[in-house]
Amino acid sequence: MSKHEGTERGAQSNSDNSEEKDWAAVKAVFDNANTAKKPRPPKPSNAVTIAVSSRTLFNMVKERKVFEEEGLERYVAHQLELEDQPFNPGVSFPFVKALMNVNAHLRELYPDSEELFDIVLMTNNHAQVGVRLINSINYYDLTIERFCMTGGESPIGYLKAYMTNLYLSKDSTKVQEAIEEGIAAATMFTCDSENELSDTQLRVAFDGDAVLFSDESEIIVKEHGLDTFFKHEKEFENKPLAQGPLKCFLEALGKLQRKFYAKDQRINCPIRTYLVTARSAASAGARVLKTLRSWGLEVDEALFLAGAPKGPLLHKIRPHIFFDDQMFHIEGAQELGTIAAHVPYGIGQKYHKGKRIETSDAEEKMK
Amino acid sequence: MAVSHLFVQNCAGPLMIALQYNDLFDLLSISTSTNTDALPKGRAFTFIKAVQTVNERLVDQNKTESLLFEVILIAKECSEEIKMKIVESVKHYGIPAALLYDQADHHVLNQLKVIFSGDVIGFSEDSLDSLSDFGFGETQIETFKAAKICVKEFAVLIGQMRRRFGHENSPLCTCVLSVWGSRNICATALKTLREWGLDVDEVYCLAGAPCSPILAVVKPHILWDGGLHNMRDSSAPS
Repeated sequence: MSKHEGTERGAQSNSDNSEEKDWAAVKAVFDNANTAKKPRPPKPSNAVTIAVSSRTLFNMVKERKVFEEEGLERYVAHQLELEDQPFNPGVSFPFVKALMNVNAHLRELYPDSEELFDIVLMTNNHAQVGVRLINSINYYDLTIERFCMTGGESPIGYLKAYMTNLYLSKDSTKVQEAIEEGIAAATMFTCDSENELSDTQLRVAFDGDAVLFSDESEIIVKEHGLDTFFKHEKEFENKPLAQGPLKCFLEALGKLQRKFYAKDQRINCPIRTYLVTARSAASAGARVLKTLRSWGLEVDEALFLAGAPKGPLLHKIRPHIFFDDQMFHIEGAQELGTIAAHVPYGIGQKYHKGKRIETSDAEEKMK
Repeated sequence: MAVSHLFVQNCAGPLMIALQYNDLFDLLSISTSTNTDALPKGRAFTFIKAVQTVNERLVDQNKTESLLFEVILIAKECSEEIKMKIVESVKHYGIPAALLYDQADHHVLNQLKVIFSGDVIGFSEDSLDSLSDFGFGETQIETFKAAKICVKEFAVLIGQMRRRFGHENSPLCTCVLSVWGSRNICATALKTLREWGLDVDEVYCLAGAPCSPILAVVKPHILWDGGLHNMRDSSAPS
């Protein structure tokens, strides 16, 4: 798996020896400590690292209110008072459970492999809240062994240090920063009504333009209209689109899927991916499929809506997470109970329901 | 990583730090010319500046503050022989010693960052004994245990100092870093430090992930790892 190839690996080569020794020591400690049933976390360079913030993993809405209305000191004191009370699950919780389920299957089929999901808690919450967070992780028996609680500092540097493949946060500023640093990331929101989700299969749905692919074609739609867009896509059908911010995450999922296929588990594969695009199959769909093929990637289902609303279809699919760059689609998905994550990337940020908005309004909208 | 040592004495009052002369100034690149030239900065220079900032803020808040950092310079030649003697004496007298982390120029000067090892503080006595199964020698394990006792004194004083400031805007920032231990060992470390009077600001649990990328982002000035660093490198004196 290519994770940030080249420079990072090269720079690490000198400390590889001592790190190998450390790794052996850690293996031993874990294998022997009172964690007989708990599996050892994989090395970040081998794993698909998913970083989740504390507010997406757990429901901290009430506590957040204390922070915003009464300040940091009162917030920390409040969390300490409730330290033995586990948090309620948050919006990325079902996704995390689904990742753990995939790991369980992978470990069964490949007991010595480190190509697994590694879930890291990445938060700028204060370390004193850490005890309550760890208590909650224990309560739900989540396999989260790694965390960074930066006490107010930006977590972006740590995302890179952990070779993060996907970052989920409620804070759109941090998400944007991550995307600008080349890390796949999306903003999550509190969801009021949630559909019942599969507990045997991880389902991830992606929008196409400005999520898996760049926003180059979306720019044409927004600035020149649909007709020009159709003509353009037909003309350039065989020219692959450029990558979007979540392409690498799809790639990472695909690599794990192939491990199941190799063991004849294609039909029951515990990972399923969906492309849910407003494009129509007839006019603009071919380019998308050909692009994916040129990248050596696949999706299990490609759904072309030709402009129809995404909500009802997503309601049928029941993904653990759905990525889209346009708030309009995010809201539509949420209305029907789908957990949707916003990818703040590309031309879509400057538009709302088809109308161009002023930059300052755009920033307001994304908060 | 830096290999020089920083010593903290058993004092009730000010927090005494003894530094070797050649850590504050870089003697290796000194020219033989006039003695009016200022000595070039050594690797501890930014650390000392950060320490000064903490003192200044403490005095700002309370003119009669007695819990301050006091720095003593040891002006000795630093031959290998002397270095070994220093390390041996540290163990002999049970003087707590912390690693002075290598300072890059771009270190934050207005905040002193101290890391405590979650592994040293969070591991129970029993788990420490089990380390012998994994290649750690008797002496190393004893040093490990002694380190836990030593770090308590330092943590208590740092805790008192830290409480002089609020959660935000503090010139002193404290962290727990656990490299090997599980999340529960890290939680134990947090609670233990809290019992000792220190509420740390940041916590990092690596569970075996390589620590240099993380340390490069944390950028600590002082790293208390109970000599674990020396244990990893078999050529260093234990």
